[in-house]
Amino acid sequence: MAVMKFYCDPERCIECNGCVTACKNANEVPWGVNRRRVVTIKDGEPGERSLSVACMHCSDAPCAAVCPVNCFYTTDDGVVLHDKDICIGCGYCFYACPFGAPQFPKVGAFGTRGKMDKCTFCGGGPEADNSAEEYTKYGANRLAEGKLPLCAEMCATKALLAGDADVIADIYRKRVVNRGASVFNTGISYQNSTLRNPKGTPGKASSEN
Amino acid sequence: MTRTDKRRHRMRKMLAWSGYTLLLVLLLPLLPYAIQAANDTQNNPAGYTPPTVVNPIEVPSPGAELWREVRQRDGSYVGDTQVKGVETGVLINKAGEDWRLFRMQMLVPYGAILMGAILGAILVFYFTRGTLRLAGGFSGKKILRFTLSERMVHWFTVALFWLLAVTGLILLYGRFVLIPLLGLEGFSVTASACKEAHNLFGPLFLFAMLALFITFFKDNFYARGDLKWLSKAGGLLGGHVSAGRFNAGEKIWFWLATLLGFALCITGLILDFAVVGLGREAMALSHVIHGISAVIMIAVSFGHIYLGTAGMEGSFSSMANGYVDENWAKSHHDLWYEEVKGTAIDAQEGKQGGGVPSGGVAQARRDI
Repeated sequence: MAVMKFYCDPERCIECNGCVTACKNANEVPWGVNRRRVVTIKDGEPGERSLSVACMHCSDAPCAAVCPVNCFYTTDDGVVLHDKDICIGCGYCFYACPFGAPQFPKVGAFGTRGKMDKCTFCGGGPEADNSAEEYTKYGANRLAEGKLPLCAEMCATKALLAGDADVIADIYRKRVVNRGASVFNTGISYQNSTLRNPKGTPGKASSEN
Repeated sequence: MTRTDKRRHRMRKMLAWSGYTLLLVLLLPLLPYAIQAANDTQNNPAGYTPPTVVNPIEVPSPGAELWREVRQRDGSYVGDTQVKGVETGVLINKAGEDWRLFRMQMLVPYGAILMGAILGAILVFYFTRGTLRLAGGFSGKKILRFTLSERMVHWFTVALFWLLAVTGLILLYGRFVLIPLLGLEGFSVTASACKEAHNLFGPLFLFAMLALFITFFKDNFYARGDLKWLSKAGGLLGGHVSAGRFNAGEKIWFWLATLLGFALCITGLILDFAVVGLGREAMALSHVIHGISAVIMIAVSFGHIYLGTAGMEGSFSSMANGYVDENWAKSHHDLWYEEVKGTAIDAQEGKQGGGVPSGGVAQARRDI
């Protein structure tokens, strides 16, 4: 059984925010809710890198562990989903999540939290696949149509990858190997791309220039 | 009926009605079950089936290495982003995991152990020692211990405290205790009602704490004899110990309750008003303080309630109608009794069908 994962390659991400737009378009998320965001570190400085972040669909999800009403579940594809009929909007998942994935629409007189919304890996929710109800609550269910999340599908530089963790890991490994080889100008891609090549360990976001 | 009788009658009625209202508010979250049960039998005899949950297979994320690197960057994991909002530039929220461990592996189990242990100790004490009888029995004379305004402040705090304690405990332990009983959907409705009640009534607790503090603080400062009272455990170990209006135990409870109460109010307001835009670290820290304070306050309140009701004969009337028996005052608060013994009145006075109050004394105790 495939386990779905995202991977964003900081060497390729150009902070175009295409994934953010794709996500909003595919899922019709309300204003103020951002299931995906692009974070740039060292913006405008040497060593600038960008990362597209959303729910990482953790195997041991902290959100699911702290939820007081137990509204989270993991699908057969390893996608962490939640039931909005059960969610009470307490915000605990937001405190626990390392990636800042859970989002809360502001409702009510004091802008209190509404029911949580987060990336579903374009996998909908507990309702019937691709029903109108599912779309209103959770957005698209592209997985049921045999498609991958729109953010990754739309990524112009193929920085953002989504799919079976084994396949993604494989692509990632090949890229790292190729980048390492490119130092000697024998690589397949990134030939002569010394400008983008960090001085430290090649292919690592942490490499300092 | 005299004027005093009428006032008493009105007050009793008022207290009864506030009791009913409190009961109603506490029972209200149960209403959905009745509706749920009725609906279940009509429309959905099979009941709600939760979504399939599978044990996730341990597959290393392709991004694990990358995120480990991000996490280890010193301070530079805060970046820039086009997305507006609280902490949207933070790549890794490091406080999250600590908070999760605190809540799931400390607050939940140790909270239950603390509250259970105190409740258990009280039960053991009750079944071995029983109600502590009033030495010398009821004298037939009574003394005003708490004025109407003091009692109102007390019961206002009690009502809010239990509303908040019950709703808070449901949110903390409901997943383990109530979901097996009510199902996910049934409990979701209750938890939602509890969350709303907790968030709406929570800020009022600040007023209760302020009123409680202003009303009682002047009699709760350290006085000579308090240490002696403590060393003899308030006479539980035998022998008589002197005490003023409040004994050392009551004073400790007062300071503990106000300290924890104000901590609960401040952290509660931080958690309640998420719109202010505080980060997750502040929220998690507030939650830790809120949880610890609440559990301790609830656990200690069991002892306070026990001593005020079943634990000690003649105590409860002081908060019910304001009066205590003269012998109760002599045996538990002898120093205070010396100050107020002139105001003692006949126990039957003021009760329904009781005698005519003697003007001078009645006036005196109203002035207390």
